[in-house]
Amino acid sequence: MSAGAPPVKPQVKALNCPNCGAALVVRSFNTAVTIVCEGCHSILDAKDPNLQILQRFKVATDEDKPLIPLGTRGKIRGVDYEAIGFERRTIHVDGIPYSWHEYVLFNPYKGFRYLTEYNGHWNDVSTLKALPEFLPYASPPKVKYLGETYRHFQTAKAGTTFVLGEFPWQVRVGEASDVTDYVSPPRVISSEMTGGEVTWSMGEYLAGKDVWKAFRLPGSPPEAIGVYENQPSPLSAETRNIWVAFAAFLVVLVVMMIGFDLAARNEQVFTGYYKYNSNQRGEASFVTDDFEVKGHTSNVEVTTSTDVNNRWIYLNYALINEATGQAFDFGREVSYYHGYDSDGAWSEGKANDSVAIPKVPPGRYYLRVEPEGDPGYGMTYYTVTVKRDVPQYSFYAIALGALLLPAILLTWRSLSFEHLRWAESDHPPINLGGNE
Amino acid sequence: MIRTLYIAYGAAVLLGLGVAQYQGWSLATVNEVKNVPRSVRDNPGSYRSVYSSYHHYTGGK
Repeated sequence: MSAGAPPVKPQVKALNCPNCGAALVVRSFNTAVTIVCEGCHSILDAKDPNLQILQRFKVATDEDKPLIPLGTRGKIRGVDYEAIGFERRTIHVDGIPYSWHEYVLFNPYKGFRYLTEYNGHWNDVSTLKALPEFLPYASPPKVKYLGETYRHFQTAKAGTTFVLGEFPWQVRVGEASDVTDYVSPPRVISSEMTGGEVTWSMGEYLAGKDVWKAFRLPGSPPEAIGVYENQPSPLSAETRNIWVAFAAFLVVLVVMMIGFDLAARNEQVFTGYYKYNSNQRGEASFVTDDFEVKGHTSNVEVTTSTDVNNRWIYLNYALINEATGQAFDFGREVSYYHGYDSDGAWSEGKANDSVAIPKVPPGRYYLRVEPEGDPGYGMTYYTVTVKRDVPQYSFYAIALGALLLPAILLTWRSLSFEHLRWAESDHPPINLGGNE
Repeated sequence: MIRTLYIAYGAAVLLGLGVAQYQGWSLATVNEVKNVPRSVRDNPGSYRSVYSSYHHYTGGK
């Protein structure tokens, strides 16, 4: 209602059905074109002072009860409306009937608007004031309205199968029209062609709880089943937000990588050149000179470079803190094999190896080294290099994967939602049946 | 809601990454041993690594 104008209470005019004599309530003044008697379901000409019967239809097995009782008032987009008419419309797809309900809402100042309901999905519908523009050569067909593009969803022949109350048009049970829907969630543009006349309307998706709240209906609305043609995806905005956040995290990750790379000591603290004769018996283990490991607790990278060629060497290492006796014990196998076979050249392993020892406190250390090799290999020459505080890039890869995973999962769920939406359309994403 | 959760999760991931880099974490398998005797310095053979029983790969194609 407008703020300035005094509220005008709609007048109710009492009439009787010429067929059954039941009292008729006219809620839409003289704007209704047809009235359907709630007693005998006769469709009456509201423009005729004698309420001429236009059609009678049987409802014995076809009765439908509106979820919003006729006469109920509610507020849609801040305007009070009264439910005055109710109809059921049905389409047949592959011989299976699918029905939805339409409610005619009336406000004496604003006129008519409609609510539709299918399987718990609601739409607030009003007629378009201008024609949408068809986009040429679009496949599937598309229309543009107020700068927004709508994609063709479905075309079907819809029949009216039940009516009740008042209607601003000549309603008839059995009347059929060609209905085409174009969607751009949460909106849908529909065209209805009846006898050469086309009516365009726009619907906007409403949650059942909002309808219940608007009309102050008791209980709770029927649960929405499946995904409706213009139902907004609860995940599409979230998915977009997640990818924006992911991009920001990626920038932070790269900055961290550069920062830690620049801040890392990456300092060589020891190098030694050794040889090992596997033919020689006796104790092979030895200790290196000690070396200083500086800075805060961080990693120490031990690199072993060898001259192995189609053989291996195994080195038992212990990095021992001279002062505390704390040791980091680890073993490294270095092996390198190569050759030719029927598939061509092949190679396996490599002659050098690096390992990062985690969380090594600062202090003076030495290495105990115990080489092993197959007897008969003879001499193997190798170099051991120790570096302090070396960036570990594997963690960046793990972090990247950890950041990507939720974004990918959410995108997949969002795509699944769209898949379910379009599976019900004339343009299903995957045609399992083999023919469209 | 999901965005807030993801931001919290992503911040935790990056915080973990920062801690891992600063403290020098590694994916390597290392056995930490306490109180290795000083005699190892003079007699390296007196210490036996837990990895000394490792079965070596002697493969190639």
